[in-house]
Amino acid sequence: MLPVPPAGCADVWWLDIGTVTVGRPELAELSLEEHKRAASFAFRSDRRRYTAAHVMLRRVLSGYVDSPPSSLIFRREPCPRCGKPTGRPALPFGYGLHFSLAHSGDAVVIAVAGQQVGVDVEQQPTGCVCALSADMNATDAEWGRPLAEAARHDLVIRWWVRSEAVLKCTGEGIGHEVGGFPVLGRPGAPNGLAGPGGPDQLVPATPVHGTSLISLPAPAGYQAALALAGSSTAIRLSVQAPWAPATRAPSRGAPVR
Amino acid sequence: VTGLPRPAAGTAEADRVIADELRQLLATATGRAELAGITLDTPLFGAGVGLDSLTGTLLLRQVRQRFGVDVAAEDLNLDALATLGTLASFVGDRVAGARAGGG
Repeated sequence: MLPVPPAGCADVWWLDIGTVTVGRPELAELSLEEHKRAASFAFRSDRRRYTAAHVMLRRVLSGYVDSPPSSLIFRREPCPRCGKPTGRPALPFGYGLHFSLAHSGDAVVIAVAGQQVGVDVEQQPTGCVCALSADMNATDAEWGRPLAEAARHDLVIRWWVRSEAVLKCTGEGIGHEVGGFPVLGRPGAPNGLAGPGGPDQLVPATPVHGTSLISLPAPAGYQAALALAGSSTAIRLSVQAPWAPATRAPSRGAPVR
Repeated sequence: VTGLPRPAAGTAEADRVIADELRQLLATATGRAELAGITLDTPLFGAGVGLDSLTGTLLLRQVRQRFGVDVAAEDLNLDALATLGTLASFVGDRVAGARAGGG
């Protein structure tokens, strides 16, 4: 059984859904609600991403709570701002385990911690994202002004993943407060993890909106960020499963880690 | 397409044209060409095409730029976002209303 990360620490698990086959043994681990949701997607690619991400979430959490993946029952916490059941997904009380799941394109990332945690990953959109600049905090938007278009698009997505990680950590979600506070910090200042990551690394963090915020190293064409509850200037990060891109056609029956 | 007469706002034909433009915005925002062919009854969020928060927000901001309609500000329950068809009707009604009102 994996230990729940102690205070100030978080575990990160990556999965490239191009490397896995989701077959009957995997599907059998999902709940009726998850099957219904999977069936509601219009495109196979969305169904596959959703299914692989949720099988992986169950398998990862299963390792921390010593229960089979299929036995886990998820609930939704109330939003701390409006009380609606749109807050953070959670396991039943008592495990002392917090987690966050994000997926985009072929990338799935899961963060696990002993305190509230939020993670986000986004594949860089192919089109212009400048329409989002209107939502940016004025301080953050200022950093984008001198940049050429490609670099500005990069900055907008970096702003987005850092904002969403914070708002997933607090449970507010992007419906509240996106752009309500700066998240980018000073450009050039260390605020993330260099290199692919490994076990037990101390990463400089930016205190933002009651959380400690870092950018995560992400696959080429993606950006990612992680926020941990509590304003701290460093997070101890263990990348339990680094990004391992598909190098060949997925083999049949390969397990979803 | 320049040079072609635009259909009168608020008509079924106008909604059809708006739906086509929304499909193009969707395909561009997500980088997924297959979204240019979705039907009017396709849900946009949660199910259907499964827009995530980034592409969903980007779509709404592009709708505001293109049509001058702020969907999130006007429809608090976001019923307008249920399907491509409801979004096209919502935008079509607001565009027609703005023209009828002289603004």
